[in-house]
Amino acid sequence: MDDDRISLAHGNGGRFMRELIEDVFARHLGEDGLDTQADAVPIPLNGGEVLITTDGFTVQPLEFPGGDIGSLAVHGTTNDLAVAGARPLYLTLNAFIEEGFEIAFLDRIVASLARAARESGVRITAGDTKVLRRGEGGGLYLATTGVGMRLPGVVPSLDRIEDGDIMIVSGPVGDHGTAVMLAREDFGLRGDLVSDAGPVMALTEALLGLDGLRFMRDPTRGGIASIAHEIHRATAFGVRFEPTIPVRDPVQSVCDMLGYDPYYLACEGRVLAVVAPDQADEALAAWRALDEGKDAARIGRISAQDERVILETELGGERFLEELEDDPLPRIC
Amino acid sequence: MNGKAATRDGPLAELAVSPAQETRESVRITLAGHVQGVGFRPFVYRLASRHGIGGRVQNRLGEVDIIASGPAAVLRQFEADLIAKAPPLSRPLITGIERLEPRHDTAFLIAASSTDADARIFVPPDYFMCDDCRRELQDPGDRRYRYPFINCTQCGPRYTLIRSLPYDRRNTSMASFPLCADCEREYLDPANRRFHAEPVACPACGPRVSYEVPGAEAAVDAAAALDAAIGALRGDRVVAVKGIGGYHLVCDASRAEAVAELRRRKLRPDKPLAVMFPIAGDDGLDTVRRHAILGDAESELLASAARPIVLVTRRPGSTLADNVAPGLNEIGAFLPYSPLHQLLLEAFGYPLVATSGNISGEPVLTDNDEAARRLATVADAFLHHDRPIVRPADDPVFRRIGGRMRPLRLGRGCAPLEATLPWRQPGALLAVGGHMKGALALSWDDRVVVSPHIGEMDSPRSLAVFEQVAADLQALYGVTADRIVCDAHSGYTTHQWARRQAVPVETVWHHEAHASAVAAEFPRPGPWLVFAWDGVGLGEDGTLWGGEALLGAAGDWRRVCSLRPFRLPGGERAGREPWRSAAALHWECGRQWDDCPDEHGLAELAWRRRLNAPLTSAAGRLFDAAAALICGQTHTSFEAQGPMQLEALASSHRHPVYLPLTRGRNGILASDWEPLLEIIADQDRSPQERSEIFHASLAQLIVQQACRIRNEHEIGQVGLSGGVFQNRLLTELAIDGLARRGFDVFLPEQLPCNDAALCYGQAAHLAAAAGICA
Repeated sequence: MDDDRISLAHGNGGRFMRELIEDVFARHLGEDGLDTQADAVPIPLNGGEVLITTDGFTVQPLEFPGGDIGSLAVHGTTNDLAVAGARPLYLTLNAFIEEGFEIAFLDRIVASLARAARESGVRITAGDTKVLRRGEGGGLYLATTGVGMRLPGVVPSLDRIEDGDIMIVSGPVGDHGTAVMLAREDFGLRGDLVSDAGPVMALTEALLGLDGLRFMRDPTRGGIASIAHEIHRATAFGVRFEPTIPVRDPVQSVCDMLGYDPYYLACEGRVLAVVAPDQADEALAAWRALDEGKDAARIGRISAQDERVILETELGGERFLEELEDDPLPRIC
Repeated sequence: MNGKAATRDGPLAELAVSPAQETRESVRITLAGHVQGVGFRPFVYRLASRHGIGGRVQNRLGEVDIIASGPAAVLRQFEADLIAKAPPLSRPLITGIERLEPRHDTAFLIAASSTDADARIFVPPDYFMCDDCRRELQDPGDRRYRYPFINCTQCGPRYTLIRSLPYDRRNTSMASFPLCADCEREYLDPANRRFHAEPVACPACGPRVSYEVPGAEAAVDAAAALDAAIGALRGDRVVAVKGIGGYHLVCDASRAEAVAELRRRKLRPDKPLAVMFPIAGDDGLDTVRRHAILGDAESELLASAARPIVLVTRRPGSTLADNVAPGLNEIGAFLPYSPLHQLLLEAFGYPLVATSGNISGEPVLTDNDEAARRLATVADAFLHHDRPIVRPADDPVFRRIGGRMRPLRLGRGCAPLEATLPWRQPGALLAVGGHMKGALALSWDDRVVVSPHIGEMDSPRSLAVFEQVAADLQALYGVTADRIVCDAHSGYTTHQWARRQAVPVETVWHHEAHASAVAAEFPRPGPWLVFAWDGVGLGEDGTLWGGEALLGAAGDWRRVCSLRPFRLPGGERAGREPWRSAAALHWECGRQWDDCPDEHGLAELAWRRRLNAPLTSAAGRLFDAAAALICGQTHTSFEAQGPMQLEALASSHRHPVYLPLTRGRNGILASDWEPLLEIIADQDRSPQERSEIFHASLAQLIVQQACRIRNEHEIGQVGLSGGVFQNRLLTELAIDGLARRGFDVFLPEQLPCNDAALCYGQAAHLAAAAGICA
């Protein structure tokens, strides 16, 4: 048997499994509170409202410029709590490892996960490991549950959105989606394309004090266009994107070449917020004062007059941004 | 224009006739065709009075019903004159003459319309002023001298100002202009040619023009407004002029600087701009002839009441600025189509660029405030008027192809287009068309009414106009759709709109709609073989079709031939980037293309991994590839820019390259374009030669496919449908080749062959599939 790789025995509950947990998971996560022995752990929560979320991670490739599946699992989960107005505190972790997976690789990913958790101020408090037969998994899948506490201030929600509200985004869009796509398709390394994966807690907490804050979301799968559709569906208001959406040049040029629209591509470290018009400038200023929000921009508005999601172009034109379809077929040529 | 309109009890007019001395006869004459909303009843009234005939005329069931009594010889002359002297806008057809017991009518009446609900309603289009109005416009003694809104029952706006039925002034955008005593007198006098001319107006009571420079004081006096606009145009300014169906952006067509500035502001670097010419000479076309070579067909159409844009060959030495239509040897010419334009061109004296006042791809702007806002960065000044435009009608465009004038776009003056189907439509159907060149159709009984061009359907304004026209056509014709038909492509705005409606939705495949469109226009027995060639449309197998040959009949098609398919790198981007098609052909054949703009090899890698690289068999993409390789046109700024320039390069016939036709795994015969790739990529041959071989080879491919199918199946006739056949060179070569092999060939001529006809094709397809002959 190859000692460097995951075998089915690593999932059988015996010595191999114990050693894997001790050598990899406990080594990286134990100091921060992971009790690998207990079936269940107590977590101290001091009153207030608890928010809970769960997420699964199947990203390919497992490592990409700017992150990996480990850091992504932390950011993805904690960011969901953050945009709901909570401070993330605890995570659970499930690892589904494919037989034959290199242990050193696993170690690298768990180390990255631990680092991301420390940066985000969350503790991994419970975990589980399963080994999948060769060919039944994509190397490694992670599943998480996140627990956080509601922070004082506004409770952001779709219900709060009003006609005329302003949409702002904390930085350029499409970086994560582009970086992962290029890495997945093995297009070769491009130094200027890096995932934006990272914590957004500073961004969200900066806005919770504004009573004009309506709603926040991290534009992951489906990008900002899909959030706009979510807003439209929930409120029946139209959503208008203005020609000010920040997209970094290398992202735009890759999208142009491949025929993708960056507004549909995922971010993993950005926040889209809807704020009352009279507090939009204040919200933007608060974000721009932060490092992760220095490129924040106003990108559109809520418009009851309209019935759809509309993109205003620089040429003074307007077009519909349709809901994302799987492999959209060209309509025009 | 309608049977339901008149609800008056008594006759509208009565004329006393002196009793005849000789033996009298009485007949009942029924006329159909375009006989409503065109002053037909007053014409009959005047004709009867001239002949001393008694009786009455009445609108009934959408037909005109006449009872006439008089001497036999006079009646015969009256019958002949009904057709021969009919008002220019009418198209009467005598459908019945019945001898009655002799009657002793002492008067001739215009009877109130029958209120039958089944009236065959026609909504008339907007026409240029008639000769009578033109004479008044130019007569200093006339009270409408130089009045920009002069009209009568024979001319003027209709479709763009009718709000609802009945077609009475109060239901038009003229409702806010109460008639002065003089106009009212004309309006009520059956002997007057303005009898019930709903938009009748004069300087005292009618609409007015105004001139506005943003930030400056407006000139309200009509003469001053026109003078100010002329002054601005002479100073190379861009003026937005409100017309009948929308705004134009206007500038001096002889001044390259002015044209360049308009292009720069409108972000329209290359697309050809239409040119409006002053009327001069006997037939009005002398100025056009100084700049263009006109055939009889072009001349006749240019001067017709519809006043369409006609593509004409530019005359060498024309003083029009070259950047009016860069890289092309045709210009889009038209004559003034309203009194306002007539006055403008007369005063300016030279051709003016007159391009649609819109944001690229959207419907033409119609509202004063919206135009002022959205054209603020484009126009230096605005020549507005205060007659509201109820719905837009952009300028129609025609081109001579295969010896006939054919529409490329329906619009003002020729829409709504009213067509008849050889089948009966079950129920009432709304056909919503495609995604580009949006237009919609309403179909019931054996009728199809097609809207004017709306625009590219992915903009909110296009959808808003689309929804308005869909509702208006149903209201105007008194028909409520109980079904909707749309293209099968679920990404089309019109498809999604259809799905949101409360009535059942059917889908028709893109190219089947194209095929049914041509087959419905020319009802013929025997199976059709239709070449449906265009940009792209979704096919039954989930790939993007566009180089297909379909066998069958309207409503029932089978794909029998296609082109060798290839993958389009970057999907929809290929539409504005012909280099992608050129690259695809190279990669598909395992070749390198050295001039490929894909610097980092990213597009090629993605293409190899089938990332956003859908499979297509579209002929339009072959044209793009050829344009990229032959004209160096890697990126374009408007649809079909590459193919248009490619066609402009070619002038004479060349021997085609043989393209092998083999049966693919799907059982479909496919022509392989690979031998042609070598030629179009061959830098040692001149661009002209390569373009000529390209056109000849594709035409030959069509002939070859038709002959091959004829060996296996009976073919009654061949149809050509789809936007590719706007290319005159290819189409005429194909028609010639097919005719030489004994095929009867048909190309749409009532409707455009492009996607604008999809709505008509969808309606025809479903009516034919239902199988009830009209």
